[in-house]
Amino acid sequence: MATTVQVGSEIGVTRKEGRSFLYYIGELLLWILLIGIALYEIAPISWMVSTSLRDPKNSFDLPPDFLPTAFHWQNYVAVINSPDIEFLRFFWNSLKIALIVTGAQLLTCSMAGFAFGRLRFKGRDFLFGLFLASLMVPGTVTLIPSFILIRELNLMDTHWALILPGITSAFGVFLLRQHFMSLPQELIDAAKIDGAGYFRVYWQILLPLTGPALSALGIFTFLGAWNNFVGPLLFLRSWENYTFPIAIATLRGYMGSGNQSEVLAGIMISIFPILLVFLFAQRWIVQGAAITGMKG
Amino acid sequence: MATTAVSGTKPMPQERRHGSKLARQERVAGYLFATPALIGLLGFTALPILASLVLVFLHYDLLTPPHWAGLENVIRLGSDKRMFTIYWNTLRLVLGATVLNNVLGLLLAVGVNRSMPWFLRYFLRTSIFFPVLTTTASLAVVWRFLLTQDRGVVNYLIGQIGLGPVPWLSSSTWALVSAVIYDVWKSCGYLMVIYLAGLQGISQSYYEAAAIDGAGRFQQFRHITLPLISPTAFFAIVISLIGAFQIFDNVWVLTEGGPGDASRVIAMYIYEKAFKGFEMGYASAVSLTLFAILIILTLGQFYGARRWVHYE
Repeated sequence: MATTVQVGSEIGVTRKEGRSFLYYIGELLLWILLIGIALYEIAPISWMVSTSLRDPKNSFDLPPDFLPTAFHWQNYVAVINSPDIEFLRFFWNSLKIALIVTGAQLLTCSMAGFAFGRLRFKGRDFLFGLFLASLMVPGTVTLIPSFILIRELNLMDTHWALILPGITSAFGVFLLRQHFMSLPQELIDAAKIDGAGYFRVYWQILLPLTGPALSALGIFTFLGAWNNFVGPLLFLRSWENYTFPIAIATLRGYMGSGNQSEVLAGIMISIFPILLVFLFAQRWIVQGAAITGMKG
Repeated sequence: MATTAVSGTKPMPQERRHGSKLARQERVAGYLFATPALIGLLGFTALPILASLVLVFLHYDLLTPPHWAGLENVIRLGSDKRMFTIYWNTLRLVLGATVLNNVLGLLLAVGVNRSMPWFLRYFLRTSIFFPVLTTTASLAVVWRFLLTQDRGVVNYLIGQIGLGPVPWLSSSTWALVSAVIYDVWKSCGYLMVIYLAGLQGISQSYYEAAAIDGAGRFQQFRHITLPLISPTAFFAIVISLIGAFQIFDNVWVLTEGGPGDASRVIAMYIYEKAFKGFEMGYASAVSLTLFAILIILTLGQFYGARRWVHYE
């Protein structure tokens, strides 16, 4: 990045006349575009924060606030303490499911990634081909048969209905296989000479070295599970099993248009943990998005 | 791939016979390690796909036992005018979202990749990427408030410069536009990050050489950045197309598919046919059309990619 500056200044010497009026106009437009889009991206969120803190009586008043002008924390208290909408329970349900799904995927995907990337066994390439092929299958297509399957297994309206389909992911297997393959063979040979079994090679030698891929997969699996909407909509029936996204979508209809501030406070509570993690781990998460995005 | 092939051929025949106990151990370990993921794959991807291929030929309403339908579901597809309307909506949504997300994503990536003070970079990256991490359904609730016709924030703001009010969610022309706006707001940050990773893989020396040859910024973008980013762009376009074809919660919360069918998309239609109309067989038939379209599109892109994707 620093090089760009140097290059720029070098050109400045050789092509001074090139830095015309147009150059500065272009520069200005680019910055306006960048900052404008950044503000546009953040505005709905800051509006939500500000409005969730407004007195419910004024929650619809215009002009809108993009920075908080009042601090009616009671909206948050009201949402948390509300007798018929158990927000903490939704929070717990979402968290529980997302954590179990993430843990399970990290384990199953890294195990399979190790097997496909590092072990030789008959049928390996065929089995791995199955995983690759299933990357092409969109979730919308497996929705109906999955529903019938969950129903036959008597898992309707349980959290198992959301956990079981998420215990593994073809993409995760693929991502981790690539990472296992990139590790040096000497590590494994040395460990084997020391008498380590396959499980120790996997767990103690190689797994700690797949950190970046593992954490990227973990972050995006967690987010996917936390944000899952169709699954809960399909499988959950009773209010006390609901997860956050579906509870909020229902809540909006349930509260009507009466109490915008409280609905927004509810949404804020649901994204607050993500916001907090993101502000501190921004670099990691952005890198992770790039790693998981590079699956092509 | 290459490394496995090499290590696969390494052991000599007699060495392999000699180490057959080791080879057996390795084989057993391989199966054991692959089993958990394999069970998940077979149970929740392979089995469902096979099941939908069977469901297409059945009438099944979940309550009474399924019975044979022959090709009725498939034939019905041809005369389903609603499905064609909904596919048309989906197509417009997909095109709008894919084009805008990718153009904006690339522009933002080029912008953020420039030299700037760290706090500015932090601010830009944080604010542009954060919406990606939020829950689609919840933020759709927020946008629904923002886009309300009468007392909505967006109409208030454009009213300040003398425009509007626009019936964002209640008119058949604007409902889909609103879905595109929301999707671009939500996902352009993800595309930015993908393009950013692609940009950072381009060697700085190309730009230095071009600058010495007197190439301006626009020329550098046109003749260096664009060709070298094309593999990334190819990948980004494929995944955003596949994602956009399956948009569901966005529209479900924002417009509920309305007014009428004006913003209904194919994933919603499949969901409603299956779980509100209880026509599992027919819904599976529709879902397989989506599957076919996605496969054709993806393969078509791989084929077309030869013309415009440059690998270094």
